[in-house]
Amino acid sequence: MMALMLRTEGLNAFYGNIRAITDVTIRVPKGKVVSIIGANGAGKSTLLKSISGLIQRKNGHVIYKDRDITNMSVNRIVKLGISQVPEGRQLFAHLTVEDNIRLGAYSYYNRRNRSVIQDRIDGVYGMFPILEKRCKQVSGTLSGGEQQMLAIARAFMARPDMILLDEPSMGIAPLVVREIFNVIVNLNQSGTTVLLVEQNAKAALKVAHYAYVLEGGRVVLEGLPKELLDNPKVKEVYLGG
Amino acid sequence: MEQISIAGQLFQYLITGITVGSIYAMVAIGFNIIYDVTDIINFAQGEFVMLGGLTMVLFHVSFQIPIIIAFILTVMGVTLIGILVDRLAIRPIRQPSVLTLIIATIAVSFVIRGAAMFFWGKNPFDLPAFSGRNPITFYGAVIQPQYFWVVGFLIVVVIVLSIFFDKTITGKAMKACADNADAARLVGINVNQMIMLSFALSAGVGAVAGIIITPISLMEYDRGAMLAVKGFGAVILGGLGSFPGAIIGGLILGIIESLVAGLISSGYKDAFALVVLLCVLFFKPSGILGNIEISKIKRF
Repeated sequence: MMALMLRTEGLNAFYGNIRAITDVTIRVPKGKVVSIIGANGAGKSTLLKSISGLIQRKNGHVIYKDRDITNMSVNRIVKLGISQVPEGRQLFAHLTVEDNIRLGAYSYYNRRNRSVIQDRIDGVYGMFPILEKRCKQVSGTLSGGEQQMLAIARAFMARPDMILLDEPSMGIAPLVVREIFNVIVNLNQSGTTVLLVEQNAKAALKVAHYAYVLEGGRVVLEGLPKELLDNPKVKEVYLGG
Repeated sequence: MEQISIAGQLFQYLITGITVGSIYAMVAIGFNIIYDVTDIINFAQGEFVMLGGLTMVLFHVSFQIPIIIAFILTVMGVTLIGILVDRLAIRPIRQPSVLTLIIATIAVSFVIRGAAMFFWGKNPFDLPAFSGRNPITFYGAVIQPQYFWVVGFLIVVVIVLSIFFDKTITGKAMKACADNADAARLVGINVNQMIMLSFALSAGVGAVAGIIITPISLMEYDRGAMLAVKGFGAVILGGLGSFPGAIIGGLILGIIESLVAGLISSGYKDAFALVVLLCVLFFKPSGILGNIEISKIKRF
């Protein structure tokens, strides 16, 4: 049995009185990439937001490093080491690239950590040289791919043990998608556990160690990516036949 | 009687206008601080100014506390009231829309005004000028020493706030809340705390404005409403959310008022301020320094 980074037990989440996910139970082993694929509106984003704490109306359990974080605030969850890259980037559009990156370190930002933060910023620029070139630019003016890189960079600044990625390929040119997925693989190889949510099933299964299929807010299928790729239903619905 | 030249007279109006305009600019800055973090227009902003003036009178004139200590106590006291406004009127509203919150601030302004009337009565109060009342004559214009304090404080407030918002992580975090509250939460920013801080800051700036204007124009319990209207005019004129805009808007409004009062009739000065406000809303709703693109995505 591999060490688990995160698991959910019978997780339900609600928008008002509408239930968006039902009895979702997933396991994310430490140091692995787990992908969740599903169509638009299947509840993928809701699941991520329930884990990161953005959605508070939920029942069931979210267990992270053997600790129940179901009812914790987003602030505390970030400090514990879960960092989310939200859907549609959600940058601080009027702030510069560098300010966006710095704010990523907000949860441990103080004078004492200055050199730690600077090292991390340098690391981020190493990962994404283009962001260093654009560091004084207002982030709202970046291209879609650059914005996605910045969103990942910002999340990485929080020193996460686990990163939640919501549709990183959305609205991005195919060539750049490949680049982004390379970064995800690199992040994972440097020790970060990844929970990835994607409509782009092919790309998501390629990088995953394990995967779940979400439909109508429920887990309908799970397995190794290889198994899912061979599954006739997955082939038909998510991989385009 | 000594003949005053037209140029000297105009210069006098200009000086008076800049002084009054500096106060409008400070009220406008107060509006912008809260707007930039929350999208709320805080209509109790004028009440912070009024409280600043009257609390200073209480401490300095009634209690005879030395001016610097009284100044600090007043700013701290009004800042505390700003925090209370957030805690008691803004935060308890569940699932707030921006409009609901704005209406709540209007209610707050009524409550504060009523309480001030109860406590201080309806008479205006005076405060000794910081450096006496011996005017300086300069190119035919009479300048009260207090005018320098007003302009000086505006400059200090602007510099301090610019450093805070552009250089410190807390200032940047406040701006981040306005840009994207959910993303701000995801990097660990406590959005409620930032909203509270914005109310505290703008109450503090309001208090400073109230303290420095009282020696010039006195202060009474119901001054806040008109100051809020003028400050709001300055905000709209300069562009919602823009600090340089607030200063330019405030000064332009002050100078127009002063010129109208001097050249036409002092009875029309408030009317002219409002006419200017309407013209801006008709012809350039985004304001002088406002960005059309940004103003499109703004909710107000």
